[in-house]
Amino acid sequence: MDTYLLKKTDLPRWVELIQKSNDVFAPSRVQGEVFFSPISFPPDLDLLTGTATLPYLPPKDFVFPQAEELFSFSQQGEEVKLEVPKISGRGTVLLGIRSCDITGIGWMDKFYQENFKDFYYTRRRENLTFISIACNQPVKNCFCVCCEGGPFLDPEHDEFDIQLVDLKENYLVESKSEKGKKLIALAPELFLKSAPSVKEIRDQLEEKSRQSFLTEPTSYMSFAIRRITENSVPPEVWTELGERCFDDGGCTFVCPCCSCFGVGYLSEGGKGCHYRFWDSCDYSGFTREVSGHNPRGEKGERFKRRFYHKLSYQYIKRDGRIGCVGCGRCITACPGEVGMPAVVERIRNSKAQRNYQSGKPEESLG
Amino acid sequence: MFVRTNGEEALGVLPLISHPVSQGRLCHRGWNRFQNLRSLNRINRPLLRDGNQAKEVGWEEAFQKIKEKLSGILSSYGPQAIGIIGSPWLTNEDNYLTSLFAQHVLTTDNVDGTYRFGGASALSALERTFSGALGSLGSIPSLNESPAILLLGHESFRDFSPVGSRIVQAFLKGSKVILAEPCSRRAEHFYAHQLTESLAGLSFALQEKGAIPDGVWDSLSQAGMGLVFVADQVSPASNLNSLLSVLLQRLPAHNKALNLLTLSRSPNLRGAWDMGIKPGKQGLNLQEMLDADSKIKGLLVFADDVLAHLPSSAMIEKLKKLEFLLVADRFVTKTSQIAHCVLPIPLLAESDGTMTNCEGRVQMLRPALPKRGESRSLLEVLGDIAGRLGKALAYRSGLEVRGAMSAQIPLYQKISSASELDGILLPSSKLNGAASAAIQKPKISEGKFVLVIPNTLNAWNRNQMILESPVLNIEYPSDRLGIRMNPQDARDLKLRMGEKVKIKSERGEAHAPIDLDNTVPSMTLVLPSHFIDVVEGVAGNGDVDPETKSLFYPNLYVSVEKI
Repeated sequence: MDTYLLKKTDLPRWVELIQKSNDVFAPSRVQGEVFFSPISFPPDLDLLTGTATLPYLPPKDFVFPQAEELFSFSQQGEEVKLEVPKISGRGTVLLGIRSCDITGIGWMDKFYQENFKDFYYTRRRENLTFISIACNQPVKNCFCVCCEGGPFLDPEHDEFDIQLVDLKENYLVESKSEKGKKLIALAPELFLKSAPSVKEIRDQLEEKSRQSFLTEPTSYMSFAIRRITENSVPPEVWTELGERCFDDGGCTFVCPCCSCFGVGYLSEGGKGCHYRFWDSCDYSGFTREVSGHNPRGEKGERFKRRFYHKLSYQYIKRDGRIGCVGCGRCITACPGEVGMPAVVERIRNSKAQRNYQSGKPEESLG
Repeated sequence: MFVRTNGEEALGVLPLISHPVSQGRLCHRGWNRFQNLRSLNRINRPLLRDGNQAKEVGWEEAFQKIKEKLSGILSSYGPQAIGIIGSPWLTNEDNYLTSLFAQHVLTTDNVDGTYRFGGASALSALERTFSGALGSLGSIPSLNESPAILLLGHESFRDFSPVGSRIVQAFLKGSKVILAEPCSRRAEHFYAHQLTESLAGLSFALQEKGAIPDGVWDSLSQAGMGLVFVADQVSPASNLNSLLSVLLQRLPAHNKALNLLTLSRSPNLRGAWDMGIKPGKQGLNLQEMLDADSKIKGLLVFADDVLAHLPSSAMIEKLKKLEFLLVADRFVTKTSQIAHCVLPIPLLAESDGTMTNCEGRVQMLRPALPKRGESRSLLEVLGDIAGRLGKALAYRSGLEVRGAMSAQIPLYQKISSASELDGILLPSSKLNGAASAAIQKPKISEGKFVLVIPNTLNAWNRNQMILESPVLNIEYPSDRLGIRMNPQDARDLKLRMGEKVKIKSERGEAHAPIDLDNTVPSMTLVLPSHFIDVVEGVAGNGDVDPETKSLFYPNLYVSVEKI
């Protein structure tokens, strides 16, 4: 990994050079809401500081859009023509993405690329480079510190392209991947050598950030992981949590790690297209079979399944981490007030139904 | 909410975190709202029908035909032979124009909406309790401050998540949430009490000592209590008047504040009602327009699938036999398929204008997508038809219409500047003195089943928005005919799922299969009202609400026999 210093005043110049061969997106305000939008000049540096500012829509939309055409079809006489839509060959650079979202993209990469390379995902992902900003200051709903999702990316263990650390006048630039190095090579004169003492300041900032998370919503994730893995959460707790779920799917749509999709088609007069769209395990139709039978017809069952996928050891072993990065978007999205931290807390407060290890029923693990 | 697009088609939807109602939350219809905007089942060009054949024509030819037909009816039968149907799927501006078109161009008093059969009774009852025209009756953002909330029907909580969200928050703060639900005995943890009465019997039960659990009255006697219900389920109006009367009597004399939310499955019920989509003084309502003996010869329907929302087969027959049926709509619907002339108009996402939500908040819509096909705004369509009939609708833009609305409708005075995303709340409604209504003891018939016929004319799986969306189509599958029954009752009668039974009331009988549902209380049957043939068999011609002159089906006592 290479480290440099970049003056904040030089950032616009660097972005200008990047823009020559890439579309650059950064957080910006549209009618008071924060979105990843094409970067404006001068860039809104307020949204590129160490204070966590998360667009509500996660960056998974850049690699896995909410609606994406897979192919179009048309028929003329006997001939049927199929066409896969083309995408722009220009690169895309996302500036100002946060550590939790980089971790979320890592999770999506595993799902869409590890065993089978999804064509649509991969062609977008290959064009994408991230310049993330470490969070010196978490905000209200942040709990990434409980999920190894942030607040800083660890250069030794985490995969990333470029991480910026806000040092007030300057950014500390940590460049790890080849894609990141290429962006730095566009303007090497802007990147100054960083003194070894800067590393100390960086580590202090990280530690200070870790200390400044609010008591709520930080959560006892390991406790919930254990309970869910050993299936000792009483069924009535899942029923209760399910009763609070509105089946709206909002939590899955704004979750940087949720990757499920459905496929629909549009057709008229011999022409049309197939497209995929975000689907949600909240929905009763997600598992309903053609016969009408639904193995997870009850909401509590669907709720349990969702959190089993997010937190059980079976998936941690396979995917290398839990399916939550602690961004806190589900807290905002959930009308029933059962986002991840509330669920973890409810599980912690429940008595274990049984303990597989001891075989004793109704024994509290708390 | 924002509709995310690539400039041509919708790619997604995102709620606004800063909006006081949504606060970043939507129901699953909201999150998937972009899907129907991509539908290809659109009306793209004007259509004229001759017999069973429909052909696409240009706007000029369509306007000529409309002029010819309307002039013919006007000269042969007079203006009162024409009816106009506005819609809760139109903006306030379009509904206001529709109302002006009826009054000043066609000079007919026959104006109404399909909410005659699902919403009109609730709004009429509220107008009686409050001082005439309805302003803001409640507030969604402050529902979580209510010390107690009475919900009429499980769906009042479940189907409208911005409201449901505030109910959960109220519960977490210690508010008592009370559910009155006759069709489901599902006990959810946030309900402090579950009453089994329907609206028809609730007022009586609330007055009768011992009929309701201890504690309900104490909770409901607190100022600021919430009352939440779905407007479709209120019939007749007197049932709601009775309940309001009982509740208001119990509230403290110095503070009769109620947080009242009238929910609807259509986006602009309140707006359409406020804009005058209801009969004029001598006018006929939709039921009267479609009466077998009605003198209506021509019907102009704007943005509503009337055929799907009629509660009786006689009305459906009458609609099919009209001399002239004009439909201006976005999607191909059952009604557009029988219309003599069909005109394409833009979707709400392709239009600008205002809409009024259930708390009386007037909000601005901005076009997110370009108009599809050859669609034209209702402003253009009505202006053109008016011109051809030798009259004028002198508005060139939605802004001008909004100006006229704010000048003519006192409650909407401030909306000409409703440009903020949050919208503007209408002034609060005032109580019209002491509301009172006669409360009758419900009839009880021992040993018989209670047949509940909930109003499902506007059920989600009959809603065009759902039908045009692949994922929502899966979420709301079309229901098969079945009378829902408690499995234990079925066992007692030696019935199996899907087996046909004869249900017999004092009014008639019908045969239908049963559908087992363990949420249905014992000795209760539930028959969705849109299965019109079966409903008419057992309930005859239904009852007519004297206040709104609209048909509804009351609960009936029935016997059940295995065939």
